[in-house]
Amino acid sequence: MRKIWLSVLSLAAGLAVAGTAAAHHGWAWTTGENKELTGVVEEARLGNPHGDVMLNVDGTVWTVEVGQPWRNDRAGVKEGDIAPGVEMRVIGEPSADPDETRLKVERFFIGDREYILYPGRD
Amino acid sequence: MDGLLAAIEGFWIAQELRFARWSYAAVNTAHVLGIALLVGAILPLDLRLLGLWRRVPHGDLARVLVPVAAAGLALAAATGALLFSVRASEYGVMPVVWLKGALIATGAGAALLLHRAHGLELAAAGRRRLAAAGALSMTCWLGALVCGRLIAFLGD
Repeated sequence: MRKIWLSVLSLAAGLAVAGTAAAHHGWAWTTGENKELTGVVEEARLGNPHGDVMLNVDGTVWTVEVGQPWRNDRAGVKEGDIAPGVEMRVIGEPSADPDETRLKVERFFIGDREYILYPGRD
Repeated sequence: MDGLLAAIEGFWIAQELRFARWSYAAVNTAHVLGIALLVGAILPLDLRLLGLWRRVPHGDLARVLVPVAAAGLALAAATGALLFSVRASEYGVMPVVWLKGALIATGAGAALLLHRAHGLELAAAGRRRLAAAGALSMTCWLGALVCGRLIAFLGD
């Protein structure tokens, strides 16, 4: 019985550690500093739970995270605005892991039009 | 495999949910309710099988908790399939999703075998057999819960 309890406890501890690993939710995984990227959309995967846009920035493909559908709608994004071939300038926070080319967008420009996804953030 | 996942994503409910606000939120919430019922019901029973609360007859606990856990599993599985369909081609290639599926299959399969052999109330099963079943069950369901939550934190 003691053995079983020990294995249960060590399993629980292991799971707790695993649970605190990497993060794409929220902002805990980003640097906390803004970064600006300008590139051409290669692929757009919009929709729940949040949109991912593959942005080619001078030959490097960045995964830029745009909002959930309601957030994009609120910012005024229309269907077809973010599509392959479109040039975007995005401002947001990159992943704190320098090897990861991923950025979470706070606002972006297509042409002169600004789309603000997170009005409360700088 | 890629074709199958793309076909799932193309299913009209998946398309609908993908750009919906409140129905996606509702499915998400129902998924959490299913997990809450499943894990909330099965953990106390697993702990009883492992030797906690010896003065409470495990048959009485099982009579209440097993149907609740089964209902939670059904709800979580149905809503989970919907959530999966929205991004099938992304989720379908994640190792953590496959691990989660394996844990659920093992947990559900072990429970079915246990109750088929010993009935809903686990009347005639030996203490060691029950303790082993409790440990396996706890491992599977807590593991599935962690894997499920990790889907949002891993990925390409």
